[in-house]
Amino acid sequence: MKLFTLISLIFTLPINFSIIRYNYSYYGEVIHSAPGLSYAQTFSDRTLGVDLVSPEDLVVFENEIFVISSGSNALAVVNDNFALEHYFKDFLISEDYRDYLFETVADLEDTFNLYKLEILDGIQTAGNEATTSIDDLEFLANDRKTFFNDQVDQMIDGNLALANQNYVPTQLGQLLTTTNSGITTIYNEAKAENEATRVDLDLDATKPIPVLELVTTVERSEVLNFLEPLTLNTPMGLDVAHTGIYIADTNNNRIVKLNHHFEVIDIFQEIDDITFDELDFMPLKVTTDSTGRMYVVARDVFEGIIELDTDGSFNRFTGVNPITLSPIDIFNRFWMSDAQIDKLPKFLPTSYTNVTMSEENFIYATSLASTNNSDNMIQLINPKGVDVLIRNGYHVPKGDIHFVEGMNNYVVDGPSRLVDVAIYKDGIYTVLDAKRSRLFTYDAEGNLLYINGEAGQQLDKFTSGVALDYFGDNLLVLDKDLRTVVVYEHTEFGQTVNEAIYHHERGEFEQAARLWEEVLVLNTNYEVAYNGIGKYYLRKGDYETAMEYFKYGYDKYYYSRAYKSYRNQLIKENFGYIFLAILALPTAFIVYKQIRKRKDSIK
Amino acid sequence: MNKLKLIINDYLSFPKYILMHPFDGYDEFKTEKKGKLSVALVYIALFALLRILTYQYESFLINERNPMMINNLQEIFVVGLLVILFVTANWSVTTLMEGKGKFKEILMVTGYALFPVIIIGYPALFISNFLTLDEMAFYTLAMGIAYFLTGWMLFMGILNIHQYGLLKTIMAFIATAVSMMVMMFLGLLFFDVIQQIIAFISAIIEELGLRR
Repeated sequence: MKLFTLISLIFTLPINFSIIRYNYSYYGEVIHSAPGLSYAQTFSDRTLGVDLVSPEDLVVFENEIFVISSGSNALAVVNDNFALEHYFKDFLISEDYRDYLFETVADLEDTFNLYKLEILDGIQTAGNEATTSIDDLEFLANDRKTFFNDQVDQMIDGNLALANQNYVPTQLGQLLTTTNSGITTIYNEAKAENEATRVDLDLDATKPIPVLELVTTVERSEVLNFLEPLTLNTPMGLDVAHTGIYIADTNNNRIVKLNHHFEVIDIFQEIDDITFDELDFMPLKVTTDSTGRMYVVARDVFEGIIELDTDGSFNRFTGVNPITLSPIDIFNRFWMSDAQIDKLPKFLPTSYTNVTMSEENFIYATSLASTNNSDNMIQLINPKGVDVLIRNGYHVPKGDIHFVEGMNNYVVDGPSRLVDVAIYKDGIYTVLDAKRSRLFTYDAEGNLLYINGEAGQQLDKFTSGVALDYFGDNLLVLDKDLRTVVVYEHTEFGQTVNEAIYHHERGEFEQAARLWEEVLVLNTNYEVAYNGIGKYYLRKGDYETAMEYFKYGYDKYYYSRAYKSYRNQLIKENFGYIFLAILALPTAFIVYKQIRKRKDSIK
Repeated sequence: MNKLKLIINDYLSFPKYILMHPFDGYDEFKTEKKGKLSVALVYIALFALLRILTYQYESFLINERNPMMINNLQEIFVVGLLVILFVTANWSVTTLMEGKGKFKEILMVTGYALFPVIIIGYPALFISNFLTLDEMAFYTLAMGIAYFLTGWMLFMGILNIHQYGLLKTIMAFIATAVSMMVMMFLGLLFFDVIQQIIAFISAIIEELGLRR
């Protein structure tokens, strides 16, 4: 018996460790369903070999994966082989931005030029000093002196050239020290040779060996800090577009814009809006449209998403989360005085958790559920600022539909906490539920395609997902605590669904229907697939079959259309009989009555 | 033939007459004893049946109910309980409010009031299966009218059999609603307490059994 249990345990092990396989049926029941994604591989800060303490955001841009770490204040760039490509903790100032700084910051250019001159001067003097000192050496042969002097000249020239190109004050200062140490080495060599020659010739020194005078560091003004490489302080958000790399440098209250050489080209700090008179601007997430306008989610800002123009000036708030009061709240408020209402807890709109720009410059935004409304947790905000997400699926896209409500110590309760959206092709998007570590994939119509993931410590699971993005056909999920990126690939089922949607979006209903049939073989419970097949039959004109499929798929709109056509067809085919019935029945009735009348009158 | 005519008169003509002429109709209903308890009970039963059929066979386009979750007994009990609750509550309230209606009369009024729902509901339910989504508005309209007429008949019935004025009838309805709630509360309380007592007694019995 014991052996049997063990063996059966081994057989059920794969099932026990597999990912959650469920979906929601039309009636909201949890039904078994094939998962659309499966684990492919993983990479972490250990495999990359760099520090990425509590990574916060992950963005894919042109075959490169950008990860920002709030603990290490670092930006890591990973290539398509999941190997580290770049790792930055500080970012140089670009030429353009330097020119801009020179123009805008008072005294900066003058101070810097003065400083640079002093440094150049220092290097030059150090060189001259060394040359004279070498020349003063008593026993060194002349050709050796020229040799050493050449060396000094070479080094000084090199350093001067470096200093001329360099605009980083600290590095300039360091150049001085390297020059000093360089000439000291050369001079020490010269001195040693001098001494050796003296010993060889067995002479006494008539004059003392000259002491090399080193140039002390040049005094540095505070203003020059502007030109130092930027470092980050707890950056939480990141976006990469062709216009540049945008980092939400949260605790420095700014957004840093880098070019693709990782040089700073702009810093956005002051937000000119009344909200930020009392509140620090703490950007959490940032996304940009194709022109470079920034959409920022900031901490403690309830007005909506902050829209900044390309030059960083405040445009407006966009996409406000509406507040809904329950009837009881409204009733209560009706009776209360203003003083009482003031004492009530404030009804604040829930804040957004993340924003992602689609290719059409629409913003996919996720937000927390408010106390009595969880239907707006995923929004698609159009350029006008209105939520236009299509919610035609069986249920409103909001992660889990069924959840335990209220305080509970035994299970995770409450609605999903969505923290990021990743956009795949053909309008398919995936949201990440950080509360239960699940991934929900929806299509453009709002149909829930597949659910994935489960919290866990195994390699293929994650416990504290913070960001996700599509990398080609793979989905990357960033785990904050494990500092790991889990790579998911589509299963056969998921791939077929995606292909079917691809064909469906292009109106190729026949191919789509064939793929949906395959989907149904892989997953019989998949109700969405029936609609796809139904639409093919509707196009084909086989209304009765179309109706049957729409009934299985619970698509009432298309069922109604198919039914209308079917009914018309029936009426057309049997019009003769129907018309006959319409004419014959009343006639028969009238005739019957007349006969009765006559009979009565005869009596 | 005569019997059929009688049945048609009882089940269709007289309720229609009440609907069209509520004062005269209910007067005959009460004084001439034209109302029949059997008719009322049949209508109540038909209403329960209509609910079950609606649950299962309403047009796919408008039916949001899960056919797997149908519970016929529950539907019957809901109708039965509601009627009994309403009649009892109304009777207890109107007795205190000097209503002239008897318990049986209130029950009969409730049954007769369901006439529009039955007479419109069954054909509408059948026709709903031949409508498209746009035309479904007619079905909802028909059902809305049916329920409105039912409310109208119930209101007029209560008004007439108790020989109340308009305002007093409205008061009686509000009081009925309140007393229905009180009764439901008491019922739930009773069930809860009884359940606990049963649990207690069974625990004692179990304990005794174990200690023996």
